[in-house]
This record gives sequence, structure tokens and C-alpha cells, in this order.
Amino acid sequence: MSELFASNVARRKRHANLFRWICAGMTWLSVLVLGIMLYHIVAQGWSSLDWRFLNSFPSRFPNQAGIKSALWGTVWTIGFIALFSIPIGVATAIHLEEYAKPGRLRSFIELNIANLAGVPSIVYGMLGLTIFVRWMHLGRSVLAGALTMTLLILPVIIIAAREAIRAVPDSLRSAGLALGATRWQVAWGHVLPSALPGILTGVILALSRAIGETAPLIMMGALTYVAFVPGGPGDYFTTMPIQIFNWASRPQHEFHTLAASGIITLLSVLLAMNTIAVIIRHRSQRSRTW
Amino acid sequence: MVDILGRQHAAEARGTRSAPILATRGVTISYGDSTAIRDITLEIPEQKITAIIGPSGCGKSTLLRSFNRMNDLIPSVHHTGEILYHGQDIYARGVDPVELRRQIGMVFQKPNPFPKSILKNVTWAPALHGYRGSLMQLAEESLQRVALWDEVKDRLSQSAMGLSGGQQQRLCIARAIAMQPDVLLMDEPCSALDPVSTSRIEDLLFELKSRFTILIVTHNMQQASRVSDYTVFLDRGSMVEFDVTDKIFTQPGEQRTADYVMGRFG
Repeated sequence: MSELFASNVARRKRHANLFRWICAGMTWLSVLVLGIMLYHIVAQGWSSLDWRFLNSFPSRFPNQAGIKSALWGTVWTIGFIALFSIPIGVATAIHLEEYAKPGRLRSFIELNIANLAGVPSIVYGMLGLTIFVRWMHLGRSVLAGALTMTLLILPVIIIAAREAIRAVPDSLRSAGLALGATRWQVAWGHVLPSALPGILTGVILALSRAIGETAPLIMMGALTYVAFVPGGPGDYFTTMPIQIFNWASRPQHEFHTLAASGIITLLSVLLAMNTIAVIIRHRSQRSRTW
Repeated sequence: MVDILGRQHAAEARGTRSAPILATRGVTISYGDSTAIRDITLEIPEQKITAIIGPSGCGKSTLLRSFNRMNDLIPSVHHTGEILYHGQDIYARGVDPVELRRQIGMVFQKPNPFPKSILKNVTWAPALHGYRGSLMQLAEESLQRVALWDEVKDRLSQSAMGLSGGQQQRLCIARAIAMQPDVLLMDEPCSALDPVSTSRIEDLLFELKSRFTILIVTHNMQQASRVSDYTVFLDRGSMVEFDVTDKIFTQPGEQRTADYVMGRFG
């Protein structure tokens, strides 16, 4: 070996190995914590999780209480949140990335979006109460709740969609434009399909957050006791996290079991949504390499 | 000096060359404060291959991209002077770059097929422009013309990303000629390819010459001398010489050209 280098391979390898083990340890630590939590929830809630639980309205008798109205309330609100937030968020991202010229206005909008992503959710609840419930007279409806949640997750969707769109190489845009396509045709035909996996990841993260949020909905006055399934956007509603919170805050032990069953239901819905997203993402990613 | 040179050649052109399809008059293009090409006047003859050569950073690509207004996409670029296509200023009011780019196609340095099927790569743009004939037939003809048909005819529905670099570049050429352009702009189309693929594309250029006017930017002097009829030599943003390729490479009029083509700099 050359005299000029004290390369000290053994020591460098020790460091490399140490770092590798630290990273692996951190990974397994979080998996472990998640596993313990899941175990506790399932152990407590599995026994009362049955068809009767899923298909009953809340009750003051624990053995008759179920999650039906909250489950359907969540399905309705998440549907409307997706309906509002995906088009608005993706269109905003396309505008900022594909059309807007760099300048003060764009920087101002970007700064605002970044800041809005960090605003506490309770503030959005107050905003929803003021604007949608009172000022627009939507009442404590599914629609008002969905609009409030849309405001909450919109910054997250915009930021994720922008990142995904920015990751599409410019050579693809040049190729389309040089063939005489318009900006819109290039964005729709090539940029969006290529950015779809990234956009979907952002959308799913954002919708998952919306499913779990409780504070803004309670703030805007979603009810905790609803004994019917919402029939449309104008109806009163409750959601699963509100129902779970309500059960968990009662003194009787039987209700805590119900809360655990509710959490399992909520997690299952989340898992189902994620699975759908993974499938779509996998399909659109198959042929993509550059 | 350049302007005078340009006019000299324009005068010569009347006798010896076919009519110019593209022309520039005193074109200067800048990126913000830095000037990329300075006061260039030249006439590109129809149905010939014109090569643009010069050292790195001399403005070859900038000049090429000005002919189909691809420079518009870079916000800081501005230009003075006129760029004419069939005698009409392409920056005049009412000229739509979308329509212009249908007639002036482009092939890029790095093969950039769409991450879609081979067939879709060729038919996407003609379909957008409302091509009236059979798209399938158009795709076959275009792929035949770039000698790719036999290699891909059994896997037209597979992704274009699975092709080799040389095949991808030929697909990009097929994609461009499927639009039936007048002019084909090529920005170092072989620089990312191996010698075998390069020679296939050079053969292809001869085939295409009968139907299209080709403008090719190249780093490779042998390539310019092999394939082109006319050669433009640019240095530091200015046009040093524009003449018949044989003359540029055997008895150039300028010392700088001689030094460059002999490989003494650049």
C-alpha cells in the first residue's frame, strides 16, 4: 500500500457498519412501537367487532351501540373531501409548475401554501365554523365539514403534486411541445400520467389525515350523537374519530372496548384506501423509467 | 464582417443554391444579460442538409432552437432581428408556435421517447392534430422510413423505454417525421449513441434529404463533413463562415475555420 495514504480501511468499515446498524435499529424501533399499539387495540376491540357493531347506531347501552352512523359519515365526508380537494389541488399544482411565470406573485402564493400546511387544524375548524356554517348557512352538514377538511388538506396535496410534477424531466415536455402540442396537451398527455404515482401518494397521505382529524369537525359543530345515516350533503353527520373520542371519554369500561373496535374499523378503512392507491400507483409505474 | 459574409453568400446562393426555406436577418439572442448569438444572417437552402458546427458554448443549439421557437420556453431569452420561414417572420403577430412546430420538427440530443407504447409515440401528435388518414398506416410508414419497422413491428404495444438508445433515437425521428414537417431540426442527435447506431442515423439522413430540409447541430466534424451539403461555422456566438461543406473542410475562407476543422482548437 502507498505510503502517502493512511487509509485505515478497518476503522472506516467499523463506522460504516455502525451507521448501518443504527439506521436498521431506528426502523425496527418504529415498527415495534406500531406493533405494540396494534396488539393492544386488537386485543381489546376484536371481541366486540362484529356485524352488529358495524350495523348499529350509537346507544347509551354499550351492548347495543355501534358505529354505523360514524362509518357512513366518514365515507360521505371523505368522498366530498376527495371531490373538492383533488381537482383544486392538482389544478393549482399544474398552474404553479406549468404555467405561472416566476415572480413575486408566484413566490407569495408559494410562501402562503407552505405556511398554510403548518397551521394547527383547530384554526381551520374555526374558519369552517365562521365561513361555511354561519356565513354560507350550510349548517353543521356533511358539506360544511368536507369543505373545512378540504381547506385543511389542500396545502398538503398542492405541495405533493408540485413535487411530483417537478420531477417529470423537461425533455418530455420539450418532446411534446416540439411536435406542436399545446401546453395543456403536454400536461394532460405526458406530465400528469408520469406524475400520477407521486400525486397519488400525496393525495392518500392527505386523505388519511382528513379521516383521522377530529378537532376541526368538533370545532365546527359536527354532532357526537347521530342516530341516522346521512342521506346527502346537507345532512348532519358524525365521523369515526369523533365517535371513538366520545366512547373513549366515557367512564364505563364497555365503551372503551367499543372505542378499540372503532379504531380497528377506522384503520381498516385507511388500509383499504392505501391499498387502492398502491395498486393504481403500481399500474402507472410499470413502464416508467428515464 | 459577419453580415457582409452573409450577404456574399446570399448573392452566391442565387446562382448555385435552391431557394432558402429558413433565413435569419441580423439575429441576436441573449439569455438575460449574456449574448448567446450575435448578429447572424444566413439562408438555409431547401432539401439539403446544413450542419451547424463550432466549439462548445458557441450558440449552435440556441440558433437551432430559434427556428421552431423552442427558445420561447426559457423565460429569460429575448432576441432581435428576424427569423424567416418561407419569407415570413416567425415571431410576427399571429404566428402560432404550435402550428409552426408542426411544420418544423425537432430531434433532441438525448433520445426522449414518451414513456408510452412504441405505436403511441408515433401516433400521439398526428392524432392531436387531427390526422385524417389511418394512424396505423402512418405509424408503419414512419417506422419503415427510419428502418425501425422490422425491429419493432411485433411489439408495437410495448413501452418505448424498453428499446436501445439507438432505436429510441430512430423512434424519435419517426415521431417527428410522422407529422410530415417541412424541416427537421436535429440537435446533436448522435452524441448519446454508439458508433453503429450513429452510422445508421447518418444513413437515414441521406434517405430523409429527399423529402425534408435538415438542419443538424453536431460536435463531430467527421459527421458534418460526411452528411452535410452546407456547413455553418459558429464561434463565440458569431458566424465565422457559411459555405458548401466541401469548401469549409478543404479550403476554408477564414483562418479560424481552418484551425477548428483541423482540430487545432475547440
